[in-house]
Amino acid sequence: MTASNVQTASGDPPSPSASFYDLSDDEEGDYNTIAHSRSERGVKLLFSKSKVYVHPTPSAKDNISGFIALIQQKPTQEPADTSPSRLNVSGSRTVSSSSYLLAWVPERSLAQDDLNSYVKVDMSDNASPPKQTYLVPPLPTATISDESSIGTYAFALALSNIYSLLIRPPSVGWWYGSVVINTRSGSSLPALFFHDAECESTILQKRKRARDSFDPFGEDGLFWGGDEVLRWLKRYVKVVRSAADPGVYLVDPSEEDRIGFGQPRTSAELQRPETKEQKAPEPRKPASNQSGPGMDPLTKALKETRWKILEQLSKVTTFTRRTAQDIADNPKLPPQVRRLLHNPEVQTLQDEFDSARLYLARWAMGIAEQSEREKNQRIWTAKDVLEMEESSVGEFEILDMEAGRMSLGGDQKRKAVGMKEWTSFFNAKTGKLQVTVGEVKERIFHGGLDPEDGVRKEAWLFLLGVYDWSSDREERASLLNCKRDEFIRLKGAWWERMVEGDAEPEEEEWWKEQKGRIEKDVHRTDRHIPLFAGEDIPHPDPSSPFYVSGGNGTNVHLEQLKDVLLTYLEYDKPSTSSRTNVSNPHPQNLGYVQGMSDLLAPIYAVMQDDAIAFWAFVGFMRRMSRNFVRDQSGMRTQLTTLDQLVQLLDPKLYLHLQSADSTNFFFFFRMLLVWYKREFEWVDILRLWEGLWTDYLSSQFHLFIAVAILEKHRDVIMGHLKHFDEVLKYVNELSGTIDLPSTLVRAEGLFRRFEKTVEAVDRKSHFPGPAGAASSMRQRRVMEGKGKNPSTEATAAPASGSSSAAAATLPRNAGTSGSNGTRTGGTVGTGSAVTTGHHAGGAGAGTEKEQVISPELRALLSRKVVVLDDEAHDADDHGAAAASGSAAGTSR
Amino acid sequence: MSSRKKVLLKVIILGDSGVGKTSLMNQYVNKKFSTSYKATIGADFLTKEVTVDDRIVTMQLWDTAGQERFQSLGVAFYRGADCCVLVYDVNTPKSFETLDSWRDEFLIQASPRDPESFPFVVLGNKVDVGDDRRAISTKRAMTYCQSRSGIPYFEVSAKDNTNVEQAFEVVARNALAMEEQEEYGGGFEDPIDISLDNERDGCAC
Repeated sequence: MTASNVQTASGDPPSPSASFYDLSDDEEGDYNTIAHSRSERGVKLLFSKSKVYVHPTPSAKDNISGFIALIQQKPTQEPADTSPSRLNVSGSRTVSSSSYLLAWVPERSLAQDDLNSYVKVDMSDNASPPKQTYLVPPLPTATISDESSIGTYAFALALSNIYSLLIRPPSVGWWYGSVVINTRSGSSLPALFFHDAECESTILQKRKRARDSFDPFGEDGLFWGGDEVLRWLKRYVKVVRSAADPGVYLVDPSEEDRIGFGQPRTSAELQRPETKEQKAPEPRKPASNQSGPGMDPLTKALKETRWKILEQLSKVTTFTRRTAQDIADNPKLPPQVRRLLHNPEVQTLQDEFDSARLYLARWAMGIAEQSEREKNQRIWTAKDVLEMEESSVGEFEILDMEAGRMSLGGDQKRKAVGMKEWTSFFNAKTGKLQVTVGEVKERIFHGGLDPEDGVRKEAWLFLLGVYDWSSDREERASLLNCKRDEFIRLKGAWWERMVEGDAEPEEEEWWKEQKGRIEKDVHRTDRHIPLFAGEDIPHPDPSSPFYVSGGNGTNVHLEQLKDVLLTYLEYDKPSTSSRTNVSNPHPQNLGYVQGMSDLLAPIYAVMQDDAIAFWAFVGFMRRMSRNFVRDQSGMRTQLTTLDQLVQLLDPKLYLHLQSADSTNFFFFFRMLLVWYKREFEWVDILRLWEGLWTDYLSSQFHLFIAVAILEKHRDVIMGHLKHFDEVLKYVNELSGTIDLPSTLVRAEGLFRRFEKTVEAVDRKSHFPGPAGAASSMRQRRVMEGKGKNPSTEATAAPASGSSSAAAATLPRNAGTSGSNGTRTGGTVGTGSAVTTGHHAGGAGAGTEKEQVISPELRALLSRKVVVLDDEAHDADDHGAAAASGSAAGTSR
Repeated sequence: MSSRKKVLLKVIILGDSGVGKTSLMNQYVNKKFSTSYKATIGADFLTKEVTVDDRIVTMQLWDTAGQERFQSLGVAFYRGADCCVLVYDVNTPKSFETLDSWRDEFLIQASPRDPESFPFVVLGNKVDVGDDRRAISTKRAMTYCQSRSGIPYFEVSAKDNTNVEQAFEVVARNALAMEEQEEYGGGFEDPIDISLDNERDGCAC
């Protein structure tokens, strides 16, 4: 037994054979051979974890942050002092486990490169050591003596020299989990405290476990950083938990020690190195395994009063009191979970801690998602559909199925457009587009653009209107030259006024203030992106709060962001008597508004050229400027439209939101203002935006994204959120958790459903009267045309209609006189505002007699970009759009 | 078990953009400081349970966007506030000068029953930056606060956690006093004329 242990511990397969060796994902063996031929410059980093602290004094100020790591040194470097160890079971074992060291090293003592290695290993998916070899300098001491540990606390201790570990998981009153290492020479190393809340890898692992598992508490209480360390160790040595003192874990104990610390309770507790498991894929954990008989994790957790921690996990404490029944009745919950929630102890808990309920709600949501995923892997049968339809969530299940079907066989459709495909769209000689615009947009809408090969640099300029789709290569080149010159001119204009002081004092004051605002925001925009992270040049302005005297406070990209934003202000300034704005016929004079820096950063990062980024930003702002107007009317219009859209698409949810006082939809404000910039990761934002820029289905497809997000969470919202603050908090906290691909598919499904509903409503309201028939026909024709040939930038519904809109009167949004909506005949004069509750909603919830589609909703069928009034006025000869709400214009 | 009637204190934090509203709130609730908070868009809140004179209360601290352009949205969450914290940056004169307009805007949108006695607390943040950058003296700030019917004033640093705890303790205390007063005196939106205060059940419509 000993012999085989030795082999596994050193990473060699028990019965070496070529094929097995090839398949093994365990590369320590490889390392040995490599290391022998190498110089002795480093040791191999196998695992590491950040934010493990030494607390040298009671004051938190003195805490030293560092990495705990498992490293491997060349097995030949056998420390001389292995012989005195009390438990030297066999010589060979000592050799193998002495080549693995458990180490702790303070963060600040690491050179940048080494720090990077530690971080990379920490963040790698560390079921097994990283495939790539990370070498770091050997740590100062191969073995520890008490004296040397006092200086820096850094240590590296051979596993063969570890006698036991004293492990205390995090708990109430002992907030941080800790590990104390006892050496075979009888001394203890300083306690290592795991600040899990700061440790990114632990947070991610926790999240993953919460997702993958039906058991929120893990196998053995809440997952924490120390569990990871134990897991590492178990790969290389035998770790036995003491039966007498469960906090003590013996490392490679002798028989005599094992007895001394109490007989292990079962043989299962004898942890063997996990060589077998490494080869198996990560086991998926279906519900039954986790909450099987005999180990009800909730009850177990209760005993250990972990609810205190749960309370910390979710800080909302304003929930109205509700019974556990509500959560438990979610039809998507697997029965075993439902049983758990009916557990009387759990019910008591929910009564005591409001936040426990929110936590459980989130947890239940995760489970529902999981079982969804599993269900989706099955083939749907008619029976499934019928069952779904009968359940309360039936409709949306079906929606998902529709969406699923849309994505089925769409692998090709959803493949990213790379440079090669993009180039094939254009005539090689002239550079003129040789497919339809619609075809290109369809590809980008469904597949996105390749993030790696630089195609975005080119394609975004088309999507953002810098290049005309009908242009040829030469035209584009000369356009770019002009645009560069114009950028320089615009930049020079504010520069002169500000730096050279040839401006009116009032004007100068305004620019100074704007500059201050931009400065503040740019320095806190996307700084986690490497491009914007560095501070390697001195700040040019000593009066700036970011100026560091004698040091570096900024980087060239931050400075360029600031310049581009200031140049945009210049571009957006109306003409005055002394100066005419020749660049922009429709200046809005918005000034800098928070959120603009969020919109610019991705564009700049893709272009990495200030002049080009500027013009691309100008293109983006054409549609976004309505979000930033002084009276906030553009935002209000969108929130109102969202309100109507939810009424139409999900009346039940709408009624619930109404009862929760949340139909102002304010909780979508952030998402709509900066197009979900704060909700998705950087890479997803680029993908989302380019899809939205295509206007492929609707120029306001972002509102369908909003409904898609809402629908995803409708059960939790309807089941548990009763007040505005709860809804707001819940939606705010979705940030970083939303899956983009499925959201896009769902949003498309919602759009299709919307389209059909509008059609149905129109048909219904048109049939009776002959007056309506004509316009109904027209309506349908337009929509058909649109469906068939997306390339014709269809005028679609909101064309200036032949008569005034007969749609619902919206008290908040006086859009009544606007002829933006197509006439829906036969309803004039009936005062047909459909009411669902106290809003006069656009299209009702399918409850009242006359149903019409409001102009706001109808505008969602259009692909014309909605821009601010003034411009629309000019752009549209008929002035059709000008009369309605401030943001209902059209153009392009 | 004793009755667990919960007291929820709603506190609104206002002030110019970049003065440190989000940082103060996070320092107080999560004991964390980061230089990398993004500009707040829309609104969010954190809650914290605190003990005031042996009463456990939950403070709900609302963090808002600092740019005045977004203030028209305030009405969605100002209502029902029990205390308003006005924050400025002691190194930025402009942020001090705008305190009055923040206060006025709040009173208009929240329309508390008795604007005169509505509790405000003023915080001068970023005192860690150092004297050479300091623009508003303690004396000037104190004078201002005294002239506004004695608003409590604290100089704080979200970065160093200087005075943050103390300041929010006063916020909690004043908010609780307000809440209790409201409980007896009726809510914000009570349409009744003040003279009918004592018989408010009579005509709540």
